[in-house]
Amino acid sequence: MEQLIGFAVPGLPYGCAYAVFAVGLCLTYQTTGVFNFGYGAQAYASAFVFGWLVQYKAWPVWAAFVAAVVVLGPGLGLVLDRFLFRRIPSTNTTAKMVTGLSLLVGIPALLPVLFGNENVVGVPSVAFDPNTVYFHLFGLAVVPVNGIVLSAVVLAVAILVVLVLLLRVTFLGLEMRAAVESRRLVQLGGVDGDRVTATAWAMSGFMAGLAGVLLAPMQATVQSQDFVTLMVAAIAAAAWAALRSMPVAAAVGVLLGVASVTLQGYLPTGSIWYSAALPAMPFIVLVAALLTVPGLRRLDASVDPLSTVDPPQPPPVARARAPEIDRVVRTGWWVLLVAFVVSMLTWMPRGWETVLNQGLAYSVIFLSITLLTGTAGQLSLAQATLAGVAAFTAGQLAEHLGLTFLVGGLVGSVLAAAVAAVLALLSMRLRGLGLALMTLAAALLFDAAVFSASSVSGGTGGITIRAAWLGLDLLAPDGHVYFVVALAVLVICTGGVVLVQRGTVGRYLAAMRGSEVGAGGVGVNLPWQRVLVFALSGALAGVGGTLLAVQQTVIAPAAFNYQLSVAFVVVVVTTGVGSVEGAIQAGMGLVVIEELFQYAPPRFEGLTFVLFALGALAYAAHPEGVVELEKRRWTARAERLILRRRHPGSAAVTGES
Amino acid sequence: MLAVTDVRKSFGGTAAVRSASLTVEAGESVGLIGPNGAGKTTLFRCISGELRPDAGTVAFGGRTLGRMPPWRRARLGIGRTYQRVEVFPELTVLDHLLVADRAPRHRGALWRDLLNRSAPRPTELDRMAAVLAMVGLEAVADRPVGALGLGTCRLVELARAVVAGPRLLLADEPSSGLDGDETASLASVLRALQRSSGMAVLVVDHDLRLVEAVADRVLVMDLGQVVASGAFDAVMSAPAVRRAYLGTA
Repeated sequence: MEQLIGFAVPGLPYGCAYAVFAVGLCLTYQTTGVFNFGYGAQAYASAFVFGWLVQYKAWPVWAAFVAAVVVLGPGLGLVLDRFLFRRIPSTNTTAKMVTGLSLLVGIPALLPVLFGNENVVGVPSVAFDPNTVYFHLFGLAVVPVNGIVLSAVVLAVAILVVLVLLLRVTFLGLEMRAAVESRRLVQLGGVDGDRVTATAWAMSGFMAGLAGVLLAPMQATVQSQDFVTLMVAAIAAAAWAALRSMPVAAAVGVLLGVASVTLQGYLPTGSIWYSAALPAMPFIVLVAALLTVPGLRRLDASVDPLSTVDPPQPPPVARARAPEIDRVVRTGWWVLLVAFVVSMLTWMPRGWETVLNQGLAYSVIFLSITLLTGTAGQLSLAQATLAGVAAFTAGQLAEHLGLTFLVGGLVGSVLAAAVAAVLALLSMRLRGLGLALMTLAAALLFDAAVFSASSVSGGTGGITIRAAWLGLDLLAPDGHVYFVVALAVLVICTGGVVLVQRGTVGRYLAAMRGSEVGAGGVGVNLPWQRVLVFALSGALAGVGGTLLAVQQTVIAPAAFNYQLSVAFVVVVVTTGVGSVEGAIQAGMGLVVIEELFQYAPPRFEGLTFVLFALGALAYAAHPEGVVELEKRRWTARAERLILRRRHPGSAAVTGES
Repeated sequence: MLAVTDVRKSFGGTAAVRSASLTVEAGESVGLIGPNGAGKTTLFRCISGELRPDAGTVAFGGRTLGRMPPWRRARLGIGRTYQRVEVFPELTVLDHLLVADRAPRHRGALWRDLLNRSAPRPTELDRMAAVLAMVGLEAVADRPVGALGLGTCRLVELARAVVAGPRLLLADEPSSGLDGDETASLASVLRALQRSSGMAVLVVDHDLRLVEAVADRVLVMDLGQVVASGAFDAVMSAPAVRRAYLGTA
């Protein structure tokens, strides 16, 4: 018993951080209707600034706490509410998720730009001295309670009690709970809905900051990766509470933190349980919640009574433009394609040819998002994982069976399709947020338990691709052979996606995206369409992953982790998720901008994703993507110009009525 | 054709449908009316498969539907329109009809799409053109439905529901959100479609003029039960119905 308590008590700070974080997620969801994927990034920002002020600016701990948690935390929450989430229609779940994901990608990338690349290490405990043992629990010598444990428990308990009282007892709490259904409806009742939700955002921002600062002293270095573990554990806890019951979320959070540290003490170091099962525990707990908690299936079922006054989304430019413009655009694309091919085969510098080759591989992966999200309206946060499944399969088949890498890639793509289909079957009853969480859990599970296994990935360094595996001379120094193969694959995949979009299956998927109830009502087999589109999307991601692995000459876990899965969605949403043009623009744009930032100082390395995150933040206002928006504007200008030439002086052209 | 027997449905402690039974014969047009909270929409959703009854059975064409999902019920020949329009905003009106025409016939093989062999066939186009002409949507056939008004969207839903030739149409408050003229127009279209196709219709609506214009027979629900059944005029003068709508003095 003494040993059990001795193992469990060091887990309390983790448990308290998970609990505060989980309650913060529930609070945001209950009071604003937003599941904030950027919450981990907010916590990281506060922890980073707190440590940075103490370490580099020699601020006292209390002053740094005030700046990072009391000012920055709520301030960031207010900014997010005022400039982002307030503008999103309450029923647009996808826009809310994409905005949160943009923050998850953008904030950690922005911090080095603002504060420099220096590491923040040895973050102090907030209230009590971490090196002082204040007392021994139950008088047991093996259970010393130091400043870290004491700070975490005291602060977490205090904040949770205050919060529950605020929501249950005060009128502000009642207003907050009413505003989640419809801010507009609450305003019609005479309540300042904006003030209510702003207060909720400020409170949740404060809690994110507090959780971050509680967790930071337990890490040697403040890294955004550690906050992902925090976030997943907190999401798992919040999921068991169906994002509603704060006491349940807090209890599960504490239990998860204590259980993981306790198991760490009991499990033999070096065993598979220690190396694979333990890191995967939060994800397994999350998946179990998604599969069993009934409330999670109804998360997107609540409907804003005023949602019918929202205007419909415009169709993509490619479908709406005038025939004359369409001809010009199509001709332009062909000219561009020919110029691109000629340039790549003749004068393009070798370095840039390599970069653009990488863009072709990314474009194929991004087509999988076009099909899944743009056409079928399903959000997956595991597309990089599926790409990795195919790449690692090809690597293992080449290494152990001597199978040609590209053939192995096809086998791997079939396997990726099967994994995606299983994912679709597992999440058959989930929609929107639940589905996104399930795919994110799958991506994290693969990162922690599959891609990290050296028998699969060859360790963190990955599997190096040998020229003999390829059959073709794809690794030729001039890159031309790779270019031709990659371009051919991209053209075939693009053509396939376009044909599916224009065909019957594409219409079924568009119907499913528009209204699942309506599509089911006319006889569309929704479960089958869902499995089919997930499988197709997984296969496309697998083909792209194989191409990417060949281009990089190494199959490394870091090239297929969950962060990239999230970033991929953000990038494609920025350029336009509804059309194949958007996927290709995203692939080429990503690599070109990344290459251009190579010429900038190292602290600006992450600015690529900041730019795309900023683009994706506009998703709420322009779900077609900012690039698609600009295309729409230019198309409208061109159409006005053509009409003016044809019908000079017409009222319709001049806009007079 | 449709036989609902002793269906019950509760939400938590609230019984929305207590014990409802009804039948609709082939080619018959039946109106289901009742005050707010009578359980009409809940019963409707039990029939279409969106809700699972706690007890009782729903049978169609002699077959008990049990836990059959809505898309399979649609394939058996049950068409559906919705109180809150459920259209596909980015698809054109014609695409709506194509989806509804092909889905029940299991058309939609992936290989056909990949070989570019999914264009509408002449027979499909003829069928869709006939339906569009009946509901008066020819002029907007190629327009995305997201750009159309509510009244037009209701007609799109109606056209979509009947294009595959259902044996039974479930129309859930088709006049919701429409003005008097639009409702009258919708009623005449609905009646014409029912007579020309011979399908059975079960319509729920608060607008009694629409129900009178469309239905051969009327059922009245109150407090989760069917309390009256018969011709419109007879039912409306029945004491149980007056009590349901007006209460007791």
